[in-house]
Amino acid sequence: MTTRPRLVTDVNYRNGAAAVALFAVMAWTFVTAQFPAPLGFGEGSITATIGYAMFDLLEQVPDGHGETEGFLVAFLVVAVVLDAALDGAVMLARREEDDSVVTALADGGRRALGAGAADESGSDPGDAGSGAAGPDAGDAGTDGGES
Amino acid sequence: MAGVYDFVPAVALLPFLAFVVSLFAGEYMPKRGAEAGIIATAGSLALSVWTLLTVAGITGPATSFNENLYTWVAGGEGAVTLNFGILVDPLSALMLVIVSLIAFLVHVFSLGYMNDEGETGLPRYYAGLGLFSASMLAFVFSNNLLMAFMFFELVGLCSYLLIGFWFREAAPPSAAKKAFLVTRFGDYFFLIGVVGVFATFGTGLFAPVEGAETLASFPELAEEALAGSAEEAGVNTFGYDPGTWFTILGLLVLGGVVGKSAQFPLHTWLPDAMEGPTPVSALIHAATMVAAGVYLVARMYGFYALSPTALAVIALIGGFTALFAATMGVVKQELKQVLAYSTISQYGYMMLALGAGGYTAAVFHLTTHAVFKALLFLGAGSVIIAMHHEENMWTMGGLRDRMPVTYYTFLSGSLALAGIVPFAGFWSKDEVLFEALIHGLGSEGAIGTLLLVGYAMGLVAVFFTAFYTFRMVFLTFHGEPRTDTARDPEPVRWNVKGPLTVLGIGAATVGFINMVPVAEVTGREIDYLHKWLAHGDISVTTTEHYGELLHTFAGVDPAELGPVAPGAVSLVLALAGVGAAWKLYNVPDPEEHTDKLGGAKTVLMHNYYLDEFQVWLATGVTVPLARAADKFDQGVVDGVVNGISSVSLFGGSRFRRIQSGVVTNYATLMTLSLVLLLVVFVVAGGVV
Amino acid sequence: MAILSEFYLLLSAAVFSIGLYGILTRSNALVFLMSVELMLNAANINLVAFSFHYGNVTGQVFSLFTMALAAAEVAIGIGIVLVLYRNFEDIDVTKAATMRW
Repeated sequence: MTTRPRLVTDVNYRNGAAAVALFAVMAWTFVTAQFPAPLGFGEGSITATIGYAMFDLLEQVPDGHGETEGFLVAFLVVAVVLDAALDGAVMLARREEDDSVVTALADGGRRALGAGAADESGSDPGDAGSGAAGPDAGDAGTDGGES
Repeated sequence: MAGVYDFVPAVALLPFLAFVVSLFAGEYMPKRGAEAGIIATAGSLALSVWTLLTVAGITGPATSFNENLYTWVAGGEGAVTLNFGILVDPLSALMLVIVSLIAFLVHVFSLGYMNDEGETGLPRYYAGLGLFSASMLAFVFSNNLLMAFMFFELVGLCSYLLIGFWFREAAPPSAAKKAFLVTRFGDYFFLIGVVGVFATFGTGLFAPVEGAETLASFPELAEEALAGSAEEAGVNTFGYDPGTWFTILGLLVLGGVVGKSAQFPLHTWLPDAMEGPTPVSALIHAATMVAAGVYLVARMYGFYALSPTALAVIALIGGFTALFAATMGVVKQELKQVLAYSTISQYGYMMLALGAGGYTAAVFHLTTHAVFKALLFLGAGSVIIAMHHEENMWTMGGLRDRMPVTYYTFLSGSLALAGIVPFAGFWSKDEVLFEALIHGLGSEGAIGTLLLVGYAMGLVAVFFTAFYTFRMVFLTFHGEPRTDTARDPEPVRWNVKGPLTVLGIGAATVGFINMVPVAEVTGREIDYLHKWLAHGDISVTTTEHYGELLHTFAGVDPAELGPVAPGAVSLVLALAGVGAAWKLYNVPDPEEHTDKLGGAKTVLMHNYYLDEFQVWLATGVTVPLARAADKFDQGVVDGVVNGISSVSLFGGSRFRRIQSGVVTNYATLMTLSLVLLLVVFVVAGGVV
Repeated sequence: MAILSEFYLLLSAAVFSIGLYGILTRSNALVFLMSVELMLNAANINLVAFSFHYGNVTGQVFSLFTMALAAAEVAIGIGIVLVLYRNFEDIDVTKAATMRW
């Protein structure tokens, strides 16, 4: 199995036609639609306004710099979400030997059941093509969940 | 006001209680449930007599009672209210006494007929008798048509259960089914009639219920509709002329009557019903099931009196049945078969009387017939006990000396049936014929002619009745014993003789309640039944009122004619019949003279091939029709259903292929759907 | 002369359709992730365009949040792709046809 980039050959053009059709409809709709002229933001720094909006400092926004409202709570929530995503990514990516949640996820809890089984949770390379049917031969004794 | 009317429901409830007791505890009683039935019917009898006396004004001031006791469907706006109620007037009070008396005697007689003969399954038997009595009594005091219908059906059910009592043999279950199905056929029309009456009048009351708000009865409403306009009376005649529509309704209800009272052409079940135990036959024929039909016509006579067509139909059916059944009775060989045909014939007389406007005569004949027919059946039961359940009259003979009580009581009943003065049947039958004659002569137009035709048939039937009755008596009791069993019959006990004696005296005397010819001749007012039925608190159920209705709406009027001459004619005919029977059969060794009738005998023995005709109707017409309907059902109806399901099955099997489990395909579908939706919005939004 | 809103919309529709095209035609999980990013950013274009159209900065703030969430989504997505690869030796989404193996 090489990792060299190749030209894909299994492109499903029939499905792609659906996306093209969607674009055609949307494009036709937008082109034929009549919009009034945009109002614009007027003079001043939009970036500054965004900054004030994010920290609920709306009284600092000079007049004529666009309407907005406070987003402090949303800002904090997004900060937490990003943190959680980071943790999640790290957790998923980590390759661990012991009984971690990740391995339980990865092997369907087989390791936790058959504690002490030496085998690492990789499949037999030759078996990869069969996808779901790829449990380890060494774990067959505890494999109750075959599709 | 507490009084006897508070206890009227108990008249029916007591036998019902006996039914429950016999059914569940009968096995543990010494007489297997008979005690409960006897006590209950005795109680009913006592209450009925009390009721009768109260209606007569002897034991209380209130001489009538009509109230709804229980509402089981409360009608809202534009819907009918369905009630259980009780109507006690002279007619129902009289009928209650008759029914409970016969039921009581039949229960006692059953001790001899069933218990002493060592039958099994007696609790079932007594339970059936109890329910039978209860439903008939409740039917009698019903105050509306629907309640009457329900108990009418219960009576039919009980007859089924009792006729098929010996269900292990071949014939009784088949006879029971026949009785049930044939009467059901008539009841089908009755049911439609009941629905029609409710739809037309919004009420099924026989007589108006007085109270805070007087509820009108449907005969009254019909009368108003005929007198004025239908809208004023609040009557919906479905676009028909009121007279026509009321005739249709009357004839529909009459269908049930014809089935239950075994009138032509639905009489075929009754002779077969002889397969049941003899006391049951007595109960069915004398007081309950068969009487129910005639009683129903009498109960709603105010409705029938409005329609000359319905009256003419009733009279013709009655007259024809009277003659028709009497001729068949002439050739029968079994004791009970003869009695069965005589029952059909006698109920024909009652129908004739009702159709001819002789309401009192019909009730009178119903009363006397109940007594003497119960007597005859119980007497026949006694003979059957003696003969070890052999019913063929040709194996009997000479029983007169061996069982005198049975003989003399049976003779009393036979004289009454034949219509020999002064036994009960003479007075009542004579009055039936007299009413038919005077109304036939007095009425203008077609109905007068039709009534005269009915009268003629009834008159001829008198001869046949007397003939077959005494043929039966002579063959059974006179002459020399023709078999060993007849030479040494089994003795019967008090429980057989007791009821026979009571009824034998009754058959001789009950006619004295209404001796019209004697009243006419002597000028004394002794036609008690006329007076009994002519007056009453509930004026719309009196014969006075019926007379007005007949005069005004049906054009049926009595002619001026004394009752003596017609009575003499029918008496002469009856005596001629007795004489003929005497000559032919009152010899030591009678022969079967019926062979001289030749082909007519075959026809008569086969009951005019009416059974065969009905079987042909079933197999030749109904079965192909049903088959065609089945084919239509299988082919078209089921075809459509199956077609729809196979289309959806096929569609489903194709449609599920889009469920590939591949996310990409789902996404494609979603995209395409979105595109489609957008296009639809654009087009529907009128942008293009 | 400001650019007319129609053209912003046209652009976003094009970007969205390209992303959709990628999802519909390919089976590589990484291409999927990228295509999803494209579609998200098509939405961002719309937010910014209408923010300008109505003279309201809120749309711009929202697009910033969207970007942040997209980052979170990609972080998780990449993690999932990694696990996928570890179990199937491949990142073809059609191979992983069951939730449990």
